[in-house]
Amino acid sequence: MTKPGFFKRAVAGMGGLRNVLALAMFLVICATIPLDILYWNRAIKPLDYSYLFFAVFMLFYGVYPLYVNRRLTRYYWDRIKRHRLAVPGMIFILFLIAVAIIGPFFTGDAVQTNFKEQNFPPLGFTYQQGIYDVKSDNFTTVVSPGVPQHPLGTDDKGRDMLAMLISGARVSLQVGFLATLIAVMIGSFLGVSSAYFGGWVDSVLMRFTDIMMTFPFFLLLILIIFLYGPSLMFIILVIGATGWTGTARLVRSDALSLRTRDFIIASRSLGASDSRIIFRHMMPNVLSQIIVIATLSIPGNMLAESGLSFIGLGDPNVISWGAILNAGFRGINTTWWVAVEPGVILFLTVLAFNFLGDGLRDAFDPRSQS
Amino acid sequence: MKPIVEIQNLKKYYAINAGLLAKHVGDVKAVDGVSFQIMAGETLGLVGESGCGKSTLGRTILRLEEPTAGKVLYDGENIVKWNKGQLKGMRRGMQMIFQDPQSSLDPRMTAGDSIGEALLVHGMSDDKARRESIGELLKSVGLEPEHAERYPHEFSGGQKQRIGIARALAVNPRLIVADEPVSALDVSVQAQILNLLMDLQRDRGLAFLFIAHDLSVIYHVSNRTAVMYLGKIVEIGDKTEIIRHPLHPYTEALLSAVPCADPRKRQKPILLKGEVPSPAAPPPGCRFHTRCPRATPMCKEQEPALIPESPHRSVACHLIK
Repeated sequence: MTKPGFFKRAVAGMGGLRNVLALAMFLVICATIPLDILYWNRAIKPLDYSYLFFAVFMLFYGVYPLYVNRRLTRYYWDRIKRHRLAVPGMIFILFLIAVAIIGPFFTGDAVQTNFKEQNFPPLGFTYQQGIYDVKSDNFTTVVSPGVPQHPLGTDDKGRDMLAMLISGARVSLQVGFLATLIAVMIGSFLGVSSAYFGGWVDSVLMRFTDIMMTFPFFLLLILIIFLYGPSLMFIILVIGATGWTGTARLVRSDALSLRTRDFIIASRSLGASDSRIIFRHMMPNVLSQIIVIATLSIPGNMLAESGLSFIGLGDPNVISWGAILNAGFRGINTTWWVAVEPGVILFLTVLAFNFLGDGLRDAFDPRSQS
Repeated sequence: MKPIVEIQNLKKYYAINAGLLAKHVGDVKAVDGVSFQIMAGETLGLVGESGCGKSTLGRTILRLEEPTAGKVLYDGENIVKWNKGQLKGMRRGMQMIFQDPQSSLDPRMTAGDSIGEALLVHGMSDDKARRESIGELLKSVGLEPEHAERYPHEFSGGQKQRIGIARALAVNPRLIVADEPVSALDVSVQAQILNLLMDLQRDRGLAFLFIAHDLSVIYHVSNRTAVMYLGKIVEIGDKTEIIRHPLHPYTEALLSAVPCADPRKRQKPILLKGEVPSPAAPPPGCRFHTRCPRATPMCKEQEPALIPESPHRSVACHLIK
């Protein structure tokens, strides 16, 4: 037998070409960071970079397997379709993602204030406001109708609601995806390791999970953000680093039943290493469970960020739905649309993710066949 | 001739912990002092009812369960204290086939990947060479190389069992522990798998520890037979001798329960009274005395040793003198 070349052995050692390509992409993205700072003279935006990483990760480990396994994909699609609300939910989410990516190129600047265009109602509504005229010392009533330039109206600083909502969609999706990715990665790794090693490893990890669970999560979030300052990246990290407990528990319970299955014992009797068994056998077999947990915990994390922004602890440099809600809440009796619009969209987004999560659960779980 | 594997007084206890502080309150004595040898190329049939410790014994020999006491000599070396690195070499020599083909293959891996894992773990990293080996292995168990691309759910039970056998063969082992390899299969498929195993044994000089609860299967495949009851071996020796002339009362009872296809033959099955005692609290003296039709007062007090009765057989019973 000829000795395989170094490259081939390295590729095999990393578990196939896909991992190598993904790593290469990651490295390319990393390499642009110094370019960004030194050459283009821009401050690095950790959030944008992590979002880019997330996109690459999903491409190689989410979309690519679905494409390779088209038969399985079709099978799951047929099963998701049976869940009546999952498909509209998915369409809504895809629409939201598309809008968040390309929307800002079409709408105006979301941060631009324009005091001549304060408080325009959405198209089709009118709004009466009393304006104090200094010269005549009188209040005059001005009726302003919705205008086509601002189809969803403007807020009290004259900012376009549509532009703000689209910018908020981007923030919410970044929070939802990235925080969930962090939480799910920590949770599933701890859960699977805990189940696989058992014994004192299991005890220590699960007691730690219990302790993390008993902390009032939102209070902890408020405290940390209050102490260390509200940047969106930091908020995402904190939500991710505290939100893994449920995932760890659920994944562990799934992995426990997996551990005693014969194919795991077969791998051990072949002499496979622990890491090989965890990443090649345990993880792929709890993956469907992980995807469902992830989908169902995205809306929770979005709500957490919105909640923080709503109470004024969000990142002041980004316009998120929670921040718009907070600003609009004061004028709910008169300029109602400023609060209602982000509220409705947040509500719909949370619902959509929940429906999709339910659909995925039904599709992946053979036990819930109806 | 030197044995491939010799086990000496092997024990596997599972601790029972109870209470707040997980106090150790007792042991489930799954395997309690078993000794035997397996020679190259022979089949030792291990028979006994469910829960008697057959499977645990098989797994303990492979160090998939840590033995509580005793020795496992592989090529004359005690592997009980070996670490992972040392065990890896042993793993090439001893492999396992499982009972349930449904759960013995990873549902997320193709048949080829499952078989190939054995090769990959043992250092065959070249893709092309590995694919060829997988194809050959599939052919040797009566499947086609094209089957490598399929997932377990696309195979029948018998085919899955064949893939499991191919995976065990991948590292070229000398001993295979077959843990009830046919009891989950249809009768017609059982014969095919048994014959495949026997062909492989003839071609490759494999030794088998063949665990089963079906005496007719044991009779078909084994050279020597061991009968296990409640963690201990009660009778071991030449297959024909044991099955034609059982000496231990438990073996007799087991054999009398084998259904016979000839309706003219009158059968008087020996019906054992009561249940198998719990392995957490095995009875004192002979473990079988609670159900033995011929038990004497001595059986309740003194534990019988496994004594050679003839050159080819040993029995653990006070009544055999």
